[in-house]
Amino acid sequence: MSGDPLVLGHVVGDVVDPFVKSVSLKIFYNNRQVLNGAELKPSAVVNKPRVDVGGDELRVFYTLIMVDPDAPNPSNPTSREHLHWMVTDIPGTTDATFGREIVGYESPSPVSGIHRMVFALFQQLGRESVFAPEMRPNFNTRSFAREHYLGPPVAAVYFNCQRESGSGGRRFR
Amino acid sequence: MWSSGLDNHSNNKTNNIDNGNSGHGGGSRIISSSSSSRSSPSSTSSILLRTPRRRTMEEVWKDINLTSLHHERRFAPLPEPHHHHHHHHHRAMILQDFLSGPCFTVSRANAAVEDIPLPPPPPLLPPTALSLSSGRELQYLGGGGGGGGGSALMNGHSRSSSNSNGSRVHGQANNNDNNARSGPFMSPSFSDAVIGPSSPAGFFSFCSKKRVMPEGPGIGGDRRYKRMIKNRESAARSRARKQAYTNELELEVAHLLEENAKLKKQLEELRLAMDAQLPNRIALKRSSSAPF
Repeated sequence: MSGDPLVLGHVVGDVVDPFVKSVSLKIFYNNRQVLNGAELKPSAVVNKPRVDVGGDELRVFYTLIMVDPDAPNPSNPTSREHLHWMVTDIPGTTDATFGREIVGYESPSPVSGIHRMVFALFQQLGRESVFAPEMRPNFNTRSFAREHYLGPPVAAVYFNCQRESGSGGRRFR
Repeated sequence: MWSSGLDNHSNNKTNNIDNGNSGHGGGSRIISSSSSSRSSPSSTSSILLRTPRRRTMEEVWKDINLTSLHHERRFAPLPEPHHHHHHHHHRAMILQDFLSGPCFTVSRANAAVEDIPLPPPPPLLPPTALSLSSGRELQYLGGGGGGGGGSALMNGHSRSSSNSNGSRVHGQANNNDNNARSGPFMSPSFSDAVIGPSSPAGFFSFCSKKRVMPEGPGIGGDRRYKRMIKNRESAARSRARKQAYTNELELEVAHLLEENAKLKKQLEELRLAMDAQLPNRIALKRSSSAPF
């Protein structure tokens, strides 16, 4: 049963609609690249990651959104989605440090359950066309993208995170 | 006559318990073979006669009835002279106490079981009165579905419905199970039908966590159901997580293998190119590089 990890992990469906990946997106925590569905501890993701964006040219700008769709609890996600980070105006072929951080990086700290932490990359129509939302909880990536004419995502990556002393997950390793 | 009726009661009780225990001496079997049918009521006299052989059952019943006796003390015990008579004889009379207890509001509890009219169920029942009381409840409610209630006594009743008959075959353990599962019969008695720790191990084998254990009319079942649904969702998420990561790893492995192969090929080509050029490098020689 082979399939797209983003689909199997229900990232496509809960956060974004089906899309075609067209730009490379590489996330690194502590020099280790994040693979979809990997498990990272809160201590490993306490600081913002390095984000390498692909694309063809410097004149195309991208917005990176990081959300937790399983807040506060995956079986009862009443705060879906919780906005953790938003960087806009990232020039193509560069990394997130070249963009503007309009929502500061908030370290993931799940209390209960195993949460998915989703990065979604969108191509902007033009520079300075994306504005910070009002609140972090109950953020909606779909509607935000629609409001700012971001179109479908061009790339997405996600990892799993549970509380530091959690005992679930990774049993199959 | 009553003695024969009681004989059948205890007989069936023994049979059922033994069936649940899956293993018992011949005492009960002898009784069962002697009775008209497995469901026929047992008699106290048979209990009296066969006491020495029924240690196992007695111990079980002693445990169960310790609790039931506590409850019986709440109610005015029915003054059945023959009951008292049996009381003084041996422990098996605990069963008689039980029979004369709150779950038996009939005057002639000892009478031939077949003839006992179905009384209205008592409002409170001993918690361990699994098969007995709940069986009665089932019959009172018209004995549809679930069925299980039938204890030996219940089975012995002539009016024991086909439900009791069905459950009887499987023994006490199944009775418990049926009791627990009788959703439509969420009567207050069921709330008390908690399986006590004194039950034989055979009971527990039928009473896994998956069975619905009603705590009240419909409420306990709901809670349990919701919990089950939540657990299923959690399990599905867990499976999805595992599958997603496995797929990602497979994709990554395929990608890395491809990249590795490509890089090796590149390396080889470069080496070849280098080797081809090498002789040129070794010999320093003049060459013209001027544009003109």
